[in-house]
Amino acid sequence: MPGVIVAAFYLIVVVLGILSMGFQLLGSRLLGPTFGSSIIVWAWLISTFLTAFSLGSLLGGWISSLAADRRRAFQIASALAAIAGLAFTAWFGRGLVEAISLQYESITTGLFLSCIGLFLVPVTMLSSFGPQCVQFLAARGIKPGAASGVIYGISTVGNIAGVMLTAFVLLPNLRVSTLLYVWLGVAVVALGGLLTLLHRAETATRPGNAAPTPASSHDSP
Amino acid sequence: MKLRLLLLLPLTLASARAAGAQDYTESFDTIYNSLTVERTGTLVELRARSRAGVFRESAVDLADPLTMQVPYTKTLYSALFFQPKPQKVLMVGLGGAGFHRLFTVAFPETTLQTVELDPKVVELTKERLYFTPTVKTPVATQDGRIYIKRTAEKWDWIILDAYRGGYVPPHLKTKEFYQECAAKLTDNGVLLTNLHATTALFYTDLKTLSEVFPQIVLFRNAQNPGNIIACAVKYRTPAITDPAKWAAPATLNGPLQGRVDMAKILTELMPWPTEEITRFNAKVITDDFGSPELLDAVQIGNTKEAERK
Repeated sequence: MPGVIVAAFYLIVVVLGILSMGFQLLGSRLLGPTFGSSIIVWAWLISTFLTAFSLGSLLGGWISSLAADRRRAFQIASALAAIAGLAFTAWFGRGLVEAISLQYESITTGLFLSCIGLFLVPVTMLSSFGPQCVQFLAARGIKPGAASGVIYGISTVGNIAGVMLTAFVLLPNLRVSTLLYVWLGVAVVALGGLLTLLHRAETATRPGNAAPTPASSHDSP
Repeated sequence: MKLRLLLLLPLTLASARAAGAQDYTESFDTIYNSLTVERTGTLVELRARSRAGVFRESAVDLADPLTMQVPYTKTLYSALFFQPKPQKVLMVGLGGAGFHRLFTVAFPETTLQTVELDPKVVELTKERLYFTPTVKTPVATQDGRIYIKRTAEKWDWIILDAYRGGYVPPHLKTKEFYQECAAKLTDNGVLLTNLHATTALFYTDLKTLSEVFPQIVLFRNAQNPGNIIACAVKYRTPAITDPAKWAAPATLNGPLQGRVDMAKILTELMPWPTEEITRFNAKVITDDFGSPELLDAVQIGNTKEAERK
């Protein structure tokens, strides 16, 4: 695999990590004016993101096991759903939180609906690419355990960068509304790049296109 | 007068009940704060620990609960210059209810509604500092902004004194929050807010406040120079910035039981720091922009940190 492809791949993994956790801090700023910044808010926010990470991993694992054509279709669908979710949050996020808070007096109900409505879909869809990135490396001859370690290690570095960058650089200098559109734009570029890489890899490993790698048996036929 | 004496009775009973207790220091880690309650003789102090040190949230002398132990809380009575007959007062942040003891005696007919986020603070204030909420002094355990957003009432005074140690929740520092407060003030109501003068947040606070309130007057307590009390109103006329037009301090001292001298508060008046606001390039904080937490971590050397304790 050419070095530039590898670098681009790892960069995308880092960027997806940045998007996921940085989005959590943006989420806290969306919820804060309506629900405050108490531990109740953070409990719902963190739980929603962890739920999304969990669902995303399960979804990504399932997509990885599909036949190539269906896998491709679900990868595109996941990327589009992630982008649609981020776009919805950017356009309607603050208005939705305000509307929910007016409709439901219970802070728990309001937070539950706001978190589910704004964060669950985009973060689940972004997370679904984690297992597929593992499979990408595994198909290139890296042992599955090592591939998994590399992807989640690098992704977590992205998570850390996302939190620190958002808290100390982006939020003090840019509007939350602007940052939500930045997130949307970066997601479009990163997911577009990742889909391209996954597609190239898929094509390269198909019988007749290239010599199968030692770990190609992990790929679905 | 009889009513005032009756109001003093539970305080006196509480003092007698507490008088025999041993000195102690207790620490509590709550879901929002790290608190210490320290009793020395009849003095009970509620302190909050934070990254910047230990902050005295409140203190009450059980033998003399009407005397305010935290100097800047006396300065909250500066509101009397602008709205001398409050019927309804909303206070965000209970602390140890150090402000409440004198207020309930000075204004027995006035409702003093308090909103406190931390249930443990409410519990300790009741059990260790012997404050008993009444029909006239109810306490709601809720986020202050949510309470203000949802209350249908209008308030003559709204007092903002919500801190977690030295840290103010960011959603209580934005232009939109101040607009929500202004909407819940009566026409001649006054917003009082306790501001930290020691960090870069101070000038940003003033800039943000001035976006919403056309007239703001600042007071700096000599004993707590790190705390500035800003009094803000939502009307342009009459002007409130000329102290010569205020009620004479002596005419306001009556209900205050000799515990607060309005003439002394008048001397705490400080000028609006126009030059500093420009020099620090203070920006307006909104729900959409700004990080009050980071600004509050930047010391600007107005006063020594220790003076905030």
